[in-house]
Amino acid sequence: MKRRWLIVILGAILLITFEARPAYAMHIMEGFLPPLWALFWFAVTIPFWIVGFRQIQRIAREKPEARLLLGFAAAFTFVLSALKLPSVTGSSSHPTGTGLGAILFGPWVMSVLGSIVLLFQALLIAHGGLTTLGANAFSMAVVGPFVAWLIWRGLVGRASFWLTVFLAAALADLATYVMTSLQLALAHPDPVGGIAASFVKFGAIFAVTQIPLAISEGILTVLVMNALQTSAAAELQALEIKGVRS
Amino acid sequence: MLRVIDRYAFANRLRAVDPAQKGGIALGVILLCVALDRPIVGLMALLWMVGMTVGYGRIPMRIVVTVLGAESVFLALSVIGLVVSIGFEYPDQAQLALSLGPIWVSVSNESLQTALHVLSRTLGAASALNFLILTTPLVDLIELLRRLRMPALVIELMMLTYRAIFILLETLEQMTVAQTARLGYASWRATMRSSALLGSQLFIAAFRRSQALELALTARGFSGDLRVLPLTYVADRRLWWIAGLIVMSLTLAGWLV
Repeated sequence: MKRRWLIVILGAILLITFEARPAYAMHIMEGFLPPLWALFWFAVTIPFWIVGFRQIQRIAREKPEARLLLGFAAAFTFVLSALKLPSVTGSSSHPTGTGLGAILFGPWVMSVLGSIVLLFQALLIAHGGLTTLGANAFSMAVVGPFVAWLIWRGLVGRASFWLTVFLAAALADLATYVMTSLQLALAHPDPVGGIAASFVKFGAIFAVTQIPLAISEGILTVLVMNALQTSAAAELQALEIKGVRS
Repeated sequence: MLRVIDRYAFANRLRAVDPAQKGGIALGVILLCVALDRPIVGLMALLWMVGMTVGYGRIPMRIVVTVLGAESVFLALSVIGLVVSIGFEYPDQAQLALSLGPIWVSVSNESLQTALHVLSRTLGAASALNFLILTTPLVDLIELLRRLRMPALVIELMMLTYRAIFILLETLEQMTVAQTARLGYASWRATMRSSALLGSQLFIAAFRRSQALELALTARGFSGDLRVLPLTYVADRRLWWIAGLIVMSLTLAGWLV
């Protein structure tokens, strides 16, 4: 009897994850984190905001018109996340755009722009939240871009171009996914197995949507970078991106 | 979803009310939900805020439900994660348990209680946030952040971003229609190729648009900052009374029950 109920619950999980409408499944919802954890993630993220803001301030002082480009860059990231991406399991999901953004604009600038995008996603499309903004910003606007950027700078010129871009974008998504699972596990440890079990649990649940997404976004980012090299070489040079063939 | 929320935010009965008032109520309710952390507080906040949005802001019920349902995927998945526990040993106080190889998947009273806690808290807080975003356009919220002494550069970036989102979205939609008309999304491979084209062309469009804006501003004597006229709002006295009532009832419920 009880066994049957569990099978029903497991079936429901599979149904929701596979049949779901395109989902921004990893934005932690408003009110989901207890107060201490919400504050903790704000405290962790604020240093990145300060450094990123200083950098943007310097850019804006040197070239006043650069702020227009930064505004459009944030809007580009926002609109890119509205794309429906087919994922390998057949359902579809939204790209995060953090990998591409970090390659194009650098991780510190991206931590500010990404946070603006997350705030706008909370306020314009009801995904994410205000008290959970710190946690979401840390996983999506700090960890993701930094992972992408480190791989990009570490591998560009050493490995083939497509592999570098693919790894940067896909691993940025995976890092975001692991970080969010960790945030959820820390806030809500498993009553039986503690934080570790909770981490495995949330990781397993979200793996169904996030691992296919990482692969899809990796492929998409490679295609976008290839297309940009052929049709936007001048723009890429204006941004002074290292390692891009022109 | 973006269009729906944006449209109602500009056309509801509380549009002219000071964003500080609406923001204060929403943030107050969110903080109470999170700080008191009682299922009854969350459920009362849900009723209050949905009631306020529909009854006072005159937003259709259908829209409120759709917006609340937008995050149902995250909520459903993570609440399931809270209900189910896993471990290598047979759990003692489990209500139901199922073994998958060496791992025991179980549901206990304690985990059900936690899930109920989090579910009600999240629903209450999310409905308060939805009240804010459905009754207040983003420009008003940016104005509120400016009054709260957010650095001018960030405010400018936000305003530019808000404007640029709608420009780029229009471009995106036109390109999608053109691609769909040419069977651009007929198969998995075609979809991938079309999405990549869309992404790169959108980047170029964003870049060119920002250059065009720069040119237009320079022609009008751009000196480094963008100035806009301040907006004027009205203070709704009745809303203060309702806000007091909400805060009192939530605090009392958290205290007594």
